[in-house]
Amino acid sequence: MSSVILEARDIRYRYPRGLEAIRGISFHIRKNEKIALVGPNGAGKSTLLTMFNGMTRPDSGLLLFDNQPIRYNSGSLRMLRKRVGFVLQNPDRQIIAPTVYQDVAFGPTNLGLTETEVKAAVTMALGHVGLDGFERRTPHQLSGGEKKRAAIAGVLAMDPDVLVFDEPTSGLDPAGSEDIMELLDELNHDGKTVIISTHDVELAYPWANRAILMAEGKIIREDIPELAFGNPEFVRMAHLSLPMLLELHYELQKRGLPLLGKKPRTVLDMMNNIETMFRESCTNPRPGQITLFNIDRDNRKTLLDWLMAHTSISTGAMGTRAKQQAENDSMRLDFTYGVIDKCILKALRGEDSLILTTESMVERIHQRVDSYRKESGTRISVCLFGSPDAENDGKQP
Amino acid sequence: MIEDLLEDIAQKNGIRQVNTYLKLATGIGALLLCLVSTSYIPLVFIAVLLTCAILFLARVHAKTYADFFIHPVWFALVSVAGIVLIYGGPTPYWNWDPFPGFSLSITRESINQGFFVFCRIIGGMSAVCFIALTTPMTDLFNVMRQCRVPDIVIDLAMIIYRTIFILINQVTQIYHAQVMRLGYSSWRESVQSFASLCGAAFIASWESGEDLIRAMDARCYDGKFALMGETRPVEGFPFFIVVIFLTLSATVVILSGSKTIL
Repeated sequence: MSSVILEARDIRYRYPRGLEAIRGISFHIRKNEKIALVGPNGAGKSTLLTMFNGMTRPDSGLLLFDNQPIRYNSGSLRMLRKRVGFVLQNPDRQIIAPTVYQDVAFGPTNLGLTETEVKAAVTMALGHVGLDGFERRTPHQLSGGEKKRAAIAGVLAMDPDVLVFDEPTSGLDPAGSEDIMELLDELNHDGKTVIISTHDVELAYPWANRAILMAEGKIIREDIPELAFGNPEFVRMAHLSLPMLLELHYELQKRGLPLLGKKPRTVLDMMNNIETMFRESCTNPRPGQITLFNIDRDNRKTLLDWLMAHTSISTGAMGTRAKQQAENDSMRLDFTYGVIDKCILKALRGEDSLILTTESMVERIHQRVDSYRKESGTRISVCLFGSPDAENDGKQP
Repeated sequence: MIEDLLEDIAQKNGIRQVNTYLKLATGIGALLLCLVSTSYIPLVFIAVLLTCAILFLARVHAKTYADFFIHPVWFALVSVAGIVLIYGGPTPYWNWDPFPGFSLSITRESINQGFFVFCRIIGGMSAVCFIALTTPMTDLFNVMRQCRVPDIVIDLAMIIYRTIFILINQVTQIYHAQVMRLGYSSWRESVQSFASLCGAAFIASWESGEDLIRAMDARCYDGKFALMGETRPVEGFPFFIVVIFLTLSATVVILSGSKTIL
């Protein structure tokens, strides 16, 4: 974590002729963080978010972007809005133009880019959200999830440093929500600071680096998710519910089970806690192996042949392009979200798995598995597709 | 209520990828030929060819096309009936003088004229249908820009285009909500429901307008609206077909002179 990008000092805001929406809030957000603003309806989350790109001006207090106080003249606001991208809750309200291409090109065009640059920005943004080939479609022909992606692409095309999402998963089906959360992860991995507002605790809990609990225009608690959501008192004050995993964790503890380790954030953490407890009885002879297929480097043809030879293996895809590739090759995917954790779970049961991914994600998978290995003391191995280790049944150290 | 909008058909039609100017040339050319023709033959010829193009090239569903065509045809039949009865002429088949100074008759000339007008309506309709069903609005925006229509007009047109669909959606939702709660069960109720529907639609569009300004501001609106960068090239084969169609139709117009049906 590096320097602070966004900071609020005791900001207050009252609706015109209405109640006070923000009642003295201070916080800071560092570069490349994943922040979840969590709170009930009417907590002031959306109002606070619109302050980040200068759409709403606080009545008092100070907002700083990149250590400079936000100024509200049109030139400064333009600069701010170029750097802070805002995705509204309802994509219909965000999509302005009659075709997807024109809508995504809206921001770059207004930033004064040349036609070729605009085209490149649009292609990049649409590729990022997995909407290649949708250029000529009109917004009313898109499904809810596609509209959301189009709206995100419109913001991405301006290449902002900070991305602000108001209720990113509202109105989407569960799989669509997970897809969007994966996309947010991917964007964060590419170096963007991502801020979301939500009242979906289950979604925010495993995803965020830090959670800010809000209620009635104030911050109740600002901390890492395990602590912010870990206190039933705070959770009650914020009109939320405990995340399922935490509730289970507490219930098991109450029953006197000696659960060690940190509070679980994922099913994997939970399993690790439980298995540590039963270490003696649960001895898996050999953990399974995770094979990584890099779609940017490895040969698809060999993959299909390899899959023919390993029919029983579970396959997951990480990243928008990897999922698309799998769809193009009509591969059956067992996992499309939470892929690393699910593959580790498989490996713990002694089963092998394959992850299709892009160049930029390979590193991240290694990191995640390494950190799990250190934490749990198991010997799960990750190998690259086509490397000699892949063939000798994972006897990699 | 509004499942199959004309625009949706145009967006998905089979010759969407053909250059817009070629399609416009076909439609407008056919329309002009219909206007200069003095015989019914070229009109029928154009109508048949364009209908075939709509059904088999653009792959528009026959029923959709028929639904679309049927209303103007009824209107045309009524008008033509009027023409046939009052046009008059030297060779009557039937005659009736209900009262002095007013007579109805069916003559050779009136039948010819009526049939000619009917064919002209059908021909013109098929040309207009051809444009409407094969060229979506989004492609026409490009043409408008290339024809030097002022930017402000195009930008407004595009925003209106986008907003219409949102408004239709909202109106449909409100309408369904009213129907579900028996809002249109009696005449009195219908009037009230319709009034509140209009009110709600007005408020919804007002709010949409404010949201639109915010959305545009949030993306650094600076008076510029992007257009689809690319225009598809004029390809050899479609160009050839269009030229053949227009020459053939023009030839039929010239050859048929002012031939009449009777």
